[in-house]
Amino acid sequence: MITTPVKLWRRGKKLVNHIGVKGELLYWTIVRVPPKNFADQAPYPVGIVRLGTGEMMVGQLVDWTEKDLKSGMRVVAVMRRITHEDKENIIPYGIKFKPL
Amino acid sequence: MNISIIGAATTKFGELWTSSPRELAKEAFNSALAQSGISSSKVEALYVGNMLGGLLGHQENIGSFYAEELGLSPVPAFRLEAACASGGVALHNAINSIKAGLYTTVAVLGIEKMTDAGGDLVASALMAAGSDEERGSGITFPGLYALMAQAYMSEYKYKEEDLAEVAVKNHFHGSYNQKAQFKFKVTVADVMKSSRIADPLKLLDCSPVTDGGACVIISSDPKIISKNSVSIVASEVGTDTLALHKRASFTSLNAAKDAGRRAYARAGLRPVDVDVAEVHDCFSIAELIAVEDLGFSETGKGASDLKKGKFTRGKGKTIVNPSGGLKACGHPVGATGVKQAVEIFEQLMGTAGEKQSVTDAKIGLAHNVGGSGAIATVHIFKKNNF
Repeated sequence: MITTPVKLWRRGKKLVNHIGVKGELLYWTIVRVPPKNFADQAPYPVGIVRLGTGEMMVGQLVDWTEKDLKSGMRVVAVMRRITHEDKENIIPYGIKFKPL
Repeated sequence: MNISIIGAATTKFGELWTSSPRELAKEAFNSALAQSGISSSKVEALYVGNMLGGLLGHQENIGSFYAEELGLSPVPAFRLEAACASGGVALHNAINSIKAGLYTTVAVLGIEKMTDAGGDLVASALMAAGSDEERGSGITFPGLYALMAQAYMSEYKYKEEDLAEVAVKNHFHGSYNQKAQFKFKVTVADVMKSSRIADPLKLLDCSPVTDGGACVIISSDPKIISKNSVSIVASEVGTDTLALHKRASFTSLNAAKDAGRRAYARAGLRPVDVDVAEVHDCFSIAELIAVEDLGFSETGKGASDLKKGKFTRGKGKTIVNPSGGLKACGHPVGATGVKQAVEIFEQLMGTAGEKQSVTDAKIGLAHNVGGSGAIATVHIFKKNNF
């Protein structure tokens, strides 16, 4: 993932609207061979979530256990660090989903 | 207007550390040109399908780069980028240029050099075909297709073993292909015990990272189209959302379905008329979705039809992926769409050698997908018989 401070700043303004929104996990996978910059987090689950607002999102699951990985699991959108800070010391944040 | 393939060739596919992309391009082009019997001065334009030249090779301006390398300058040259459908999109644009009356004979090159870079870098570069939100989630292409696999298995009640059958068939077909990256056969048990990449997909559900080049020379000039050649009777492209999660269905690719529907209508043919097809099996699940989207199987029946041998050489009626597909032949992303056209050309001409899977076949089809289904091309080919 290529990030720049300006891009992160633009995205961040939209992301905050999702914090605390609840939804339902539809499908998930466990990424075991991650892309660059995600190696320290793997393996991690990523799922498709239908929010209560009807909006569909894709995001990582956090604070999860094996039993949370089932279709229909209730989740809530939380703001979390996405990868490590880049060489300009900007930490990219984004939406992840926490089982309820 | 009859637009026909007059020459077609690929390089060996695989981990080709001793070859540069320039050498691969030259080999594919020179072989295709020799087969066509025309001189390179007859080639009026060059269309190049390539995805990763910029991200992995730091080379953009790719049209001119390859025109120079192939000795074609100053002809017009274009690079078409549509992720893994770059090759199919290059072919589509080449056909359009002939239909527009601009040129009569053009070359279409598909080229990709992937194995020089490390796996994590390739996985990141490929995610350039996805959406911003997908990249931020840390998902990979195996991960996106894994989500489709999970949706497909839960909707139609299939098991991981049913997905594995795709790899078994395509490795069987690939075992006859001298140019394939993998010539070994696999069993369902081999697939099941291979390492997990993105659950439920395992290593042997996934196409490999590959280097390779492919080239077709196409022409509308009746003087150079021989009696014995292959005509392109339909070339259609469809698009969809970049992100998988924004789509109405996770078990079908509307871009491919729509391009297929239009291609059949354009050619005046039905799915049942297709003797041989190359489909975009970047992952096992992708072939099951492809055979359903193209109408070779009813919705939800792709996996059971495949298991019955409906698409296997020596058994089936519509042979799918006689080259071994992306799975066994390999998947140099920008080259794949052109390689599919080369394979169908050889199958219809009866020149496929050991991998010849059909006899006296008349109709072939190629299905090439970019991203997780954001773009797809469908081409239909017919054996000329003047």
